[in-house]
Amino acid sequence: MKLVGILLALAGWLLPVVALTLTQSLMARFILTVVGIMITLIGILAVLNKAHLQHAIWRKG
Amino acid sequence: MRFWERRNRCLWMAVAALLFCGLTAWAQNPAPAPATPAPAQATPAPAQAAPGPAMDTPLDVKAAQPPSTDELAKGDPGGIKTGTVSDVVAADTKKGLTLADIVNQAGQNRIAINFVWTLIAGFLVMFMQAGFALVETGLCRAKNANHTMMMNFMVYGFGLFAFWVCGFAIQMGGGAPYSTLGVINGLSSEYTINLFGKTWGLFGTHGFFMTHGGAYDVGAMVMFLFQMVFMDTALTIVTGAAAERWKFIAFAVSSVFMGAFTYPLFANWAWGGGWLSQLGANFSLGHGYCDFAGSGVVHAVGGLTALAVSLIIGPRIGKYDRSGKANAMPGHDIVLVLTGCFILAFGWFGFNPGSTLAASGNGALRIGSIAVNTMLAGCTGSFGAVLYMWMRYGKPDASMAGNGLLAGLVAITAPSGFVSTVGAAIIGVIAGVLVCLSVEFLERIIRVDDPVGAISVHGTCGLWGVISVGFFADGTSNYGGSWNGVNGSVTGLFYGDPSQLVAQLIGVGTLVGFVFAFSYVANWLIDVIVGQRVPAVDELQGLDIPEMGALGYPEFVLREEAEMGVAGD
Repeated sequence: MKLVGILLALAGWLLPVVALTLTQSLMARFILTVVGIMITLIGILAVLNKAHLQHAIWRKG
Repeated sequence: MRFWERRNRCLWMAVAALLFCGLTAWAQNPAPAPATPAPAQATPAPAQAAPGPAMDTPLDVKAAQPPSTDELAKGDPGGIKTGTVSDVVAADTKKGLTLADIVNQAGQNRIAINFVWTLIAGFLVMFMQAGFALVETGLCRAKNANHTMMMNFMVYGFGLFAFWVCGFAIQMGGGAPYSTLGVINGLSSEYTINLFGKTWGLFGTHGFFMTHGGAYDVGAMVMFLFQMVFMDTALTIVTGAAAERWKFIAFAVSSVFMGAFTYPLFANWAWGGGWLSQLGANFSLGHGYCDFAGSGVVHAVGGLTALAVSLIIGPRIGKYDRSGKANAMPGHDIVLVLTGCFILAFGWFGFNPGSTLAASGNGALRIGSIAVNTMLAGCTGSFGAVLYMWMRYGKPDASMAGNGLLAGLVAITAPSGFVSTVGAAIIGVIAGVLVCLSVEFLERIIRVDDPVGAISVHGTCGLWGVISVGFFADGTSNYGGSWNGVNGSVTGLFYGDPSQLVAQLIGVGTLVGFVFAFSYVANWLIDVIVGQRVPAVDELQGLDIPEMGALGYPEFVLREEAEMGVAGD
């Protein structure tokens, strides 16, 4: 799960960077950038963090 | 009674809403006409003008009425005889003073002013390390005071060493010319790749050990000092979020890595001529990624690395009970905290105005505006945080007031050189509220333990600062007529250029996507090799003895957490 979280974070970054070269439209770039940031945040705060919380010290007896 | 409390709250909210609406309306006012270019650039000398005196012709200095030797012997209590034509150095004393000497002296004076300005600003930023040390130590428990203080102390040395070895070269080794500091042509070798028909700058290759590739240069030394203290600010952010449970050896390795690679890489992309700074020139996105003094480069990089390390090492013992409910673990000295905040606010006057790297020429007189923006955003940041805490919890929380001040300062760091005072005030107050929301979100929703609020102050508000440039840049700044190779002034969405916002968002995406992932992987490797977290028994005892060998406060009687009302497992 940790690997998936990191890969999502990287994918969310690469999306707007690659989009720079694929379209000239400002609105398309804006939307893809926001979508990319959302994917990254999901990867970090949901997937990666959840993987860490499964083994959090306060869950142990 | 409840009626009155409710009424008070409504009143507060109404005042805040009115203030916000009023300020927003002010910010939406059309910007004044763009700054006129410097006269020197605007009007070339007419071709038919009479030729001036030859540069090497000796001048009649008597016409300037320099003070005589007898007059100088009497002293100069009024300061009117010091600094005259007599003080201009002639290249050939036998020949006497020439026009060439005067012109060269004028050039050197400009660079000298910029050197001194940048160096003093750098010294102020260096002193911020003391502020960070006080804030972080005060917000930690007394049993970890020595350990927390030592991390803040040693991060200076670890970071400096790594930056000298390779960090500076990676960051600034390809970004020349740096015209305000005398060009520094030695630092002009950027490693680039060609992708999709565009050139993408990735890292600099000159300046290793400050000797390689022409870096043994007076201007390069000034640049090194200034950039080094910025880098160290980013490093010291991580020590706060990981405090009270971070192995000292892991901290040392992590800090050296960050000073050598993580920070310089992103700083190159933003400030050293790298691909983010070229988004304007290559892809017509405003002026490219604009980060005047480092909300993103310094604070978000530090805050996101802090988040990565915090995830890896996990929360402190006792921070959460078995149901996941957060317990308060108050710091031991609010006096240290607020004193540290004041020191940081003072140092920020080096951080933001100093980032012009000049006090003479290239529109650098905007330093006055930048300084006012800085103090204003800090003020409204603490105002926003206090107002939020007062309304939500009934008391103006002191530590969050300090964090609100820092949040405002962090947020204004990127836009400080591009926005008006009204924009600065709005950016600051939003940051002040944002930091409170972020602290609550991290602590209660995603359960990331950050003892000092570093991730929220520097990470969240750093990202907000980067975005705010895309909204509030008012198009009046003029630093030599262009920024990041694009002519004209940086202008945000509210003043007519939506493409600048997209450039800023791509910077945000790079910070949360690339920088976080890079930091996470590096610190995960450190965790595998040396281990990031101290043993539980050491953590319960406090890290001063197990990690440092001495207590921070040897004469204190330290109480157990249970006595102080902190519920453990």
